[in-house]
Amino acid sequence: MFQEATPKDRKKYYTREWRIEKIPDFIRENIHLREFGFDHTGQGPNDRYKFFPNEKLLTKFIRYRAPYAAYSSVALYDRPWKREGWISSELVFDVDAKDIPVRPCKCDNVCEKCLDQAKEIVAMIIDTLEDDLGLEEIHIIYSGRGYHIRVLDPIILKSDSEVRSQILKYVIGGDVPRLSYTDFDGNIRNLDHFMVPLGYPKVFTERSRYIILHLNGDERIEDITRQTMNKILEYRNLIRADRWGEFKGIIGPMVYKRLIKGVAKLNLQLVDARVTVDLKRILRLPSSLHSKVSMICTHVDDLESFDPLRDAVPDFVKEKS
Amino acid sequence: MISTFFINPFSQEAKKIVKANGDLNKIIEENERLLNIIEYTTGQILDDDSKIPGSLWELSIKRIEWYLEKKNRQRYQPGYYRFLFNPKIAKFDVITFHILAQAIGAKFNPNSRESRIFIESEGEIVKERILRIEHQIRDDIISKILRELLNCEKPHWIQLEKLLENRRIKLTELILNDGKVILDKSAPKRIQQIINPIRENIIPALIMQETQEYLHKVHEMAAKIEPHPILVELADKIQEKISQEFFIPKKTGPGTIKASKLDFDAFPPCIKNTMKGVKAGNRNDAIVLLLTSFLSYARLYPAVFKERKPHKVSDFDPTLNITLNEILPIIYEAADNCEPPLFQDDPQEKLNITAKLGFGLHETPKLENEGESKWYTPMSCEKIKIHLPILCKPDNLCEKIQNPLTYYNRKRWQKKKEKGDKDIPGSNTKR
Ligand SMILES: [Zn+2]
Repeated sequence: MFQEATPKDRKKYYTREWRIEKIPDFIRENIHLREFGFDHTGQGPNDRYKFFPNEKLLTKFIRYRAPYAAYSSVALYDRPWKREGWISSELVFDVDAKDIPVRPCKCDNVCEKCLDQAKEIVAMIIDTLEDDLGLEEIHIIYSGRGYHIRVLDPIILKSDSEVRSQILKYVIGGDVPRLSYTDFDGNIRNLDHFMVPLGYPKVFTERSRYIILHLNGDERIEDITRQTMNKILEYRNLIRADRWGEFKGIIGPMVYKRLIKGVAKLNLQLVDARVTVDLKRILRLPSSLHSKVSMICTHVDDLESFDPLRDAVPDFVKEKS
Repeated sequence: MISTFFINPFSQEAKKIVKANGDLNKIIEENERLLNIIEYTTGQILDDDSKIPGSLWELSIKRIEWYLEKKNRQRYQPGYYRFLFNPKIAKFDVITFHILAQAIGAKFNPNSRESRIFIESEGEIVKERILRIEHQIRDDIISKILRELLNCEKPHWIQLEKLLENRRIKLTELILNDGKVILDKSAPKRIQQIINPIRENIIPALIMQETQEYLHKVHEMAAKIEPHPILVELADKIQEKISQEFFIPKKTGPGTIKASKLDFDAFPPCIKNTMKGVKAGNRNDAIVLLLTSFLSYARLYPAVFKERKPHKVSDFDPTLNITLNEILPIIYEAADNCEPPLFQDDPQEKLNITAKLGFGLHETPKLENEGESKWYTPMSCEKIKIHLPILCKPDNLCEKIQNPLTYYNRKRWQKKKEKGDKDIPGSNTKR
């Protein structure tokens, strides 16, 4: 498992197993408007600005070249071969299993454990995209080492990167909520995020809970000492039981404030933020081979039942084992 | 009772008033009624006639003057401007707002400093007026205004997209449910307390946004139809007021960070890394957004975050000599160090660099194009972490600051202290 594919493996995959129909419809129907990019050697996608007027030519290219990796743009263009005439871009979140800020495993690439964790994070983000932001047409792609969430809701396709970065911070809990209210005497008072059971404060509370419960103690949180970290680990069961107030009381309000600030920064690393704010990114083409780990970049129909180790393994790997 | 148009100059009622009373030929005439209201405004200081606007024309100028004075706290005397917050002037005020928008929109670029100051001043006036509404009627008025501006009190968040784009509000400051922004009173009690400040904050943001779009429209129109001479004259007057305020460099007070030759040693790690050259993928943002704004402000106006005044490059570099001969060459050199060199496959990025300096999309900065775009301030560290994480290699000083320019000022100050030099920093600093 997770071994690099040889040129022979790639050839085998693209001639015997790969079919154009495995590319999801949302890409197939506008191939002529997307930029394609390829990595032929494993050095990164150097062959860019590729344009295919139809499925037939794309099929021919892919079968013949059996690339190390294949990518297509999240943007549609009038002139994709020049990246000009921008029409729209999908909203994308890239959850890479190897970059999750709190990892239970100590593996150096990916393993079953961290892939599972990536899946949990994806599920959380999608819930927020749907429940809070009311977004629809959300596709999940297993990328080979994590997941891409690709949102095709028409209302955000034209949004600029500032708006996307704001959505990003909302769904992953990247800002410490600033909650103030005016009491009956007209004084401004502050509320803790965990006291508000809806909207962004709730999202922030959930993400923070996730991070704190998954800390293994080795993480460096800004302004948090080793000693405090131990205390956090010792008392985090209170958070599991939703007793945030008590938890805050035990570690102290000042420390709590620093902790929450540090956690917001860790939250920001749940996804690769650059991918979300970049309107001209190329992403791994679903159906293509992730040669570094020999897995298929796969459109996920049902996240819950999806198992990459069963559903994204190419035949040549199965044959070897 | 306060009319909503005292706060929202875009309401239907406001538009009706303007239609009925907006005769431009009358705006310089002295208005008894207006003078009368001002005279009977509580708290108004009346010792100086020149401080009291007698006509709509004068009221227009007072509106901008108030904002400029308020920003310049030391000399601000609120007692002279009480009338601006007297709901009785609402009718005059609405007409004044529209006259100002027409004048400024016709003469200046929508991104110009004059336009921005007008937009900001409107935001400030609205904020302060909301603050002064009595508690008992506040909720009602705010609900009414929200319905006027958004057609409902539960808009879809995408209706606020422009506000998010311009960072007038943050998405994470709103309470969202199923795509809707909760601004009404349907929420449970504890939530209501949180929603109140959001309701109050969003109104000035919305009005600033509408004002901005209004200026755009007027500006487009003005290209086709000659504006009324009295509007042109008013615009000139406003420009004069504003440049009196901004055309510095004024005497710099103690502790002010002065413009001086660039001190390369004091650059933060992200800037040093950018100058060494950046790989494709990060190249464009690093050069165009980060380095261009950093170098221009560091060289010309390092105190921008301290003073927060919207300046133009030409305020500090009236002939653009420094910009063309010192700043741009360094940016271009860094662009050349990129892999592959930036302009080789993205020649249009030269235009973007000019635009970020405030001179619109042109090959090189020219005085006549100034104001076509905004002079971009350097990205915050938070933004750099998102867009250019590869360049962000924080050192000890980085942890204490939020912006690379602040780093630069701090470091120069530290160096100055260590050396005991009189002048920050020596021009002998080598590159
Ligand atoms: Zn692992």
